[in-house]
Amino acid sequence: MRNKTGVARLLEIAGERRGLLIVSGLLSALSAIVSLVPYASVYFILRELLEHAAEPAQADGAWMTRWGLIALLGLLGSLALTYAGGMASHVAAFRILYGLRIKLSAHIARLPLGWLNGTSTGAVKKTLEQNVEKVETFVAHQLPDLVHVAATTVLMISVMLTLNVWLALACILPILLAFGVQMRLMSGPGTQDNVKKYYDSLERLSGSAVQYVRGMPAVKVFGQTVHSFRKFYADMMHYRDYCVKYTDQFQNGFLIFKVVLVSFAAFVLPVGVFLLSSNPDSVAFASVLLFFLIMAPGISAPMFKIMYLTSTLRDIREGVERIDRILAEKPVPEPEHPQKPASFDIVFDQVGFSYRADATSGEALAGVSFAARQGEVTALVGPSGAGKSTVANLVPRFWDVSAGAIRIGGVDVREMAAADLMDTVAFVFQETFLFYDTIYNNIAVGRPDAAPEEVYAAARSAQCRDFIGKLPNGYDTRIGDGGVYLSGGEEQRIAVARAILKNAPILVLDEATAFADPENEYEMQLALGELMKRKTVIVIAHRLATIRDANLIVVLDEGRIAERGTHEELIAARGLYERMWRAYTDAGQWRLGADREEETASGHAAQHYGG
Amino acid sequence: MGMLRNITAGNPRSLVKPVAYTTLANLAGVLPFALLMEAARLIYEPFAHPGTALDTARLWWVCALMGVSLLILYAAEIPAYRSQFRNAYSAAAEGRSRLAEHLRKLPLGYLNKRDPGDLANMMMGDFTMIEHGISHLVPQMIGALVMPVLALAGLSLIDWRMALALFAALPAAAALVLLTTGFQRRLGAAHMRAKIDAGNRLQEYLNGIRVIKAYNLTGERFTKLERSFKELMRHSIRLEGKLGPIVLSAIAFVRAGLTLMIMVGVHLLLGGKLDVIVFVSFLIVGSRIFDPLTAALTGYAEFRYHEQAGERIVKLLEEPVMTGERQPPDRHEIRLNRVTFGYREKAVLKDVSLAIPVRSFTALVGPSGSGKSTVLRLIARFYDPDAGEVLLGGENVRSMEPEALLRKVSMVFQDVYLFQDTIANNIRFGRSGATMEEIVEAARQACCHEFIMKLPNGYDTLVGEGGSTLSGGEKQRISIARAMLKDAPIVLLDEATASLDPENEASIQMAIDRLVQGRTVIAIAHRLKTVRGADNIAVLSEGRIVEQGRHDDLLAAGGLYKRLWDLQRQASGWKISS
Repeated sequence: MRNKTGVARLLEIAGERRGLLIVSGLLSALSAIVSLVPYASVYFILRELLEHAAEPAQADGAWMTRWGLIALLGLLGSLALTYAGGMASHVAAFRILYGLRIKLSAHIARLPLGWLNGTSTGAVKKTLEQNVEKVETFVAHQLPDLVHVAATTVLMISVMLTLNVWLALACILPILLAFGVQMRLMSGPGTQDNVKKYYDSLERLSGSAVQYVRGMPAVKVFGQTVHSFRKFYADMMHYRDYCVKYTDQFQNGFLIFKVVLVSFAAFVLPVGVFLLSSNPDSVAFASVLLFFLIMAPGISAPMFKIMYLTSTLRDIREGVERIDRILAEKPVPEPEHPQKPASFDIVFDQVGFSYRADATSGEALAGVSFAARQGEVTALVGPSGAGKSTVANLVPRFWDVSAGAIRIGGVDVREMAAADLMDTVAFVFQETFLFYDTIYNNIAVGRPDAAPEEVYAAARSAQCRDFIGKLPNGYDTRIGDGGVYLSGGEEQRIAVARAILKNAPILVLDEATAFADPENEYEMQLALGELMKRKTVIVIAHRLATIRDANLIVVLDEGRIAERGTHEELIAARGLYERMWRAYTDAGQWRLGADREEETASGHAAQHYGG
Repeated sequence: MGMLRNITAGNPRSLVKPVAYTTLANLAGVLPFALLMEAARLIYEPFAHPGTALDTARLWWVCALMGVSLLILYAAEIPAYRSQFRNAYSAAAEGRSRLAEHLRKLPLGYLNKRDPGDLANMMMGDFTMIEHGISHLVPQMIGALVMPVLALAGLSLIDWRMALALFAALPAAAALVLLTTGFQRRLGAAHMRAKIDAGNRLQEYLNGIRVIKAYNLTGERFTKLERSFKELMRHSIRLEGKLGPIVLSAIAFVRAGLTLMIMVGVHLLLGGKLDVIVFVSFLIVGSRIFDPLTAALTGYAEFRYHEQAGERIVKLLEEPVMTGERQPPDRHEIRLNRVTFGYREKAVLKDVSLAIPVRSFTALVGPSGSGKSTVLRLIARFYDPDAGEVLLGGENVRSMEPEALLRKVSMVFQDVYLFQDTIANNIRFGRSGATMEEIVEAARQACCHEFIMKLPNGYDTLVGEGGSTLSGGEKQRISIARAMLKDAPIVLLDEATASLDPENEASIQMAIDRLVQGRTVIAIAHRLKTVRGADNIAVLSEGRIVEQGRHDDLLAAGGLYKRLWDLQRQASGWKISS
């Protein structure tokens, strides 16, 4: 027994109760049977006509008229049943779709952050939209159609076998032929491989489309034409060529299926003529032959509905694989017996970490140990790439350490429930992200159950009130599509307001975020100062002056702690920190274009950079 | 015609071949059908006219011809199949590249107004619908009409009364479909909106996953995403539930023709006004002729839905692009002449005039929202002003080719977008065709070389979507390297030195110093002391230039600049401590 694939696995993932699907199957089978009524009616009339062919006026008019009406009733009945069955299957399908999407997006959020960094969001989005959507086609249309075909075929073949075995065999032959071709198409050599390639190509195209659109400002700025925007164009063409090749492969099988289905008469007629010629005067046999000729399309017509069955099954199998690939990603594990810390000192104990499991890319952190005390400020400084952001990202468990442990109030963060941990830590990122929503809701994200007064107070503290007041609808102004766009500094202040509102006992602050706007910088600093009281604060420091008074400065270099201490101690130690401090105080004197003035004056200042 | 334009994303000619070949294939499909009628006639003949023998020889001929007709049918289907898929994928590929090209020419202002998720969705999802429309829906719908139309014509010749009865209900079905078109469209549009909304929410969810995690909004707690999925489900069910009865009623009308024809036939037959073999022929036709019509009706509903996807693309393609063909002049002084501009109704710049001489250094300062960034965007012609003019070398930039103008300008902005590509190619963006040596040189100048060499694969290291694997400062230096390589005479800097660690800051400063050598520079500065050496500092407030001059003059004037300066000095004395 291998693991479930394709449809079976699909139903398993979806977790939908089978009830609706069974109802829809039953209705579909019923509608299939009823939909044969018009064909049968025509047959009965034809037989009546055949029996009275010489004297048509003798035919039973009332009887024929009744069959005409029965045909109409059969039609209406089958349509009604089709509708009922269709609704049942659609409701089931859309519920499955919904369940799948919720499940996938919930799962994605439980994965380590590194996963989305390594996967383009376009590809993930495609899985959640298109792969999942194929499910709808299958569950809502093809599953009932399949039942429809099965019911029709079984009923018809049994009736036909009782009427005439030879003619029945002549009808079964094309059915077998058509299905044989379908099966071969589905399981033919390399087919699954081609499907995979097709989806890879589509995924690549989707990824580069998202990139193209999001990178549009850069594309414009560098005046790149669409054709020189090589990747996207190449992916488009590659996708097109692949699709053509892909469909060409199915050409013959598909067309044989299609032609055979309209040709039942071509199989039945020779057998019929052969039998008829040996028994030319039998009204009984002639009417049986007519039955076969009339009813055969009754079998083949529904089969057209499953013409695309194999391609959908392939899509499903491939789509399910892609969905499973996401679901198979290991989430950040949840503890079995979650604990809550009573205090909020943070201790890094011999922490090691690397972004990739294979560790070939080198360790991002190694042997990092320090303690950030409650009520104190701990600053992380160091050259870029030293691991400051990594340290900060490990506290809220965006990744798990690969060695050592991080403890909050003595409790390993891996022993805390994710929700509790997130409630404990407030984070102000260097890159702010605002939702396409109102300003108010964007701030309320910090604590969704906060009272409006608290939201306004947080916005005030973060110096947001002035610019919010100028927006067309104040706090109800929507950000993004169909709304306003905020400047970088304004976005950052919203992010700070969120953190203020959250008021968590631990604050991880990327200091750079807070300082974009000169006019409000001072007030903002006051607000942050207020926020940091009595909390455990970890600051990623960019401007050394601001952390001069930190209780502990941890100097990182290439993933290791190079030095630690207070500002004065570190200056006295004359190490990396002291060098950085000097570079910083020099930079503070920097004036944009200072050298150009000399250049225009002396004309050869460039030699300064000659090396 | 409008519909066909939409379903092909503005390229209806791509339908010609698929429709023609599909029609041809459907014509071939009439052959076995006609042969079947002939066979039925031959079987009836001896019973209808006692004394005549069964024409077995002729029946065998019919069998043989039926075999041949299958081969013909197969042969006729091949070009139909091939042209359907070829044209569909080609039209979509062309359409995608046309849309991509169009997006590029639209003012950035327009693009900023749109949700990027929405546009990406259009690029992918909507064009998938276009593919399906061209490969299946339209050819099949039109092809499906071949048989009924031929049958109607042929049968009318045999017996017009019966033909009339058979197709009598057709107008009613057509009327039903056409009269409810508006309703169908509304339903379809509502569904489409729900679908787009779900797509946008998902994109937002994926992009903002870090914030979502940090604030415990994951999974079902991220109610907005959940709600949009639920809404999509609701609309999908509603679409099926409400469209179903319309389509099924239309089918009922169409197919009721069979019963009507039987009634008329029986009546005429008993009255001796109808030949029995004619009636038989009509019965055989009547049992099958409605299948393609039913398919066409079902296809039409689907067609209308797909058409809306195309309509959105066509609409976007009709958005006016930026015009202008002239090459920019070789003189590079810039003048803003009484420029007024607003993103929507609200004016962001009001009557702004500013002169920027060649090789001068101009700084723009002022509170956030005062319009500093907008000035830069107007110079680079991301937008055209609502009133007044922007002049480069004395000529209005409006008349210049936007791309050629942009070649004169380098921009270093705060948010840097890196493509999912190698570092080298990301830098090469500055000038396509640059050699590896030139790239390395630019990287050295921009202080990137060192950190690039520390990466696992050096210049061949792939950076993620949005460049998420590099730090902010590193990304910014990459963007300076791009600008170095581009070597444009005008440099625009926006918040370039904010948000950096000290070492980065020193590197960036060095890089910027090299970049601005001998060029015309316009910089937005947040930290005023970095621009106190500027040739001219323009102080903006609420969309107007309230002061301008050199640092010392502005300080002496005691206006807004002085106030900002004092505030910043106060702030820079701030220290983080508990």
